[in-house]
Amino acid sequence: MSTVLVLTPVIISSWPAITAAVAGAASALGLLVRETVKEANAQNQVEVEQSVEVELSQSEVLAENLATGQEIVLTKGSIELRVKRDERGRCVVCAKGFGHTDAELKQIAEEFTQKLTQCYVYDKVMRELKTKEFQIVNEEVMNDESIRIHVRRWMD
Amino acid sequence: MAQHDVEIEILKSGEVKVHIKGAKGKSCLTYAKWLTELIGNVKDQQLTSEYYEPEVKARIDLEQNLKTEE
Repeated sequence: MSTVLVLTPVIISSWPAITAAVAGAASALGLLVRETVKEANAQNQVEVEQSVEVELSQSEVLAENLATGQEIVLTKGSIELRVKRDERGRCVVCAKGFGHTDAELKQIAEEFTQKLTQCYVYDKVMRELKTKEFQIVNEEVMNDESIRIHVRRWMD
Repeated sequence: MAQHDVEIEILKSGEVKVHIKGAKGKSCLTYAKWLTELIGNVKDQQLTSEYYEPEVKARIDLEQNLKTEE
């Protein structure tokens, strides 16, 4: 018997687990983790920048271990991404930067949310596979940036 | 012993494709349920041609695979 499933991920997690996935996504996309929002708010922001916000609709960031207003700030060139938990508990990515249109910023934010989701799912799946004592037969990153994991288990 | 293979493809978009092979009967659906609870919501599910093969033949194929690996 064999079956093929297509699953849409749902991210329900604590802030530390989100932070780990953000770090993975940032590394993959060449973004630098710069500072927390508290430090950023201390700066005077005189100039007005374009800003776009993208929400991970299938997400819930648990409030435990999360200080009020806590964010992760990522930068690459003139682009700044902020990852935070909104009032409804969803994970939100806000992109801003001088010299970029809303469409460009939205594309950058969406690319990051996709990579964040991929990293989150990868971490979660690999942890679970190890717990269930699966043998990893093969694991590779394909040209289309998908990750293929082949695991095996022997049953009596 | 039976060999259960699971191929997991995490797409660039974050969507996940899973191919469960070798698990007979309800154990196949047990894997599907386990992965669904772990990852998220089912967008699509299909039984492959293997599903429609007689169970005896599937067992022979499985045994052949085992022998090949030995």
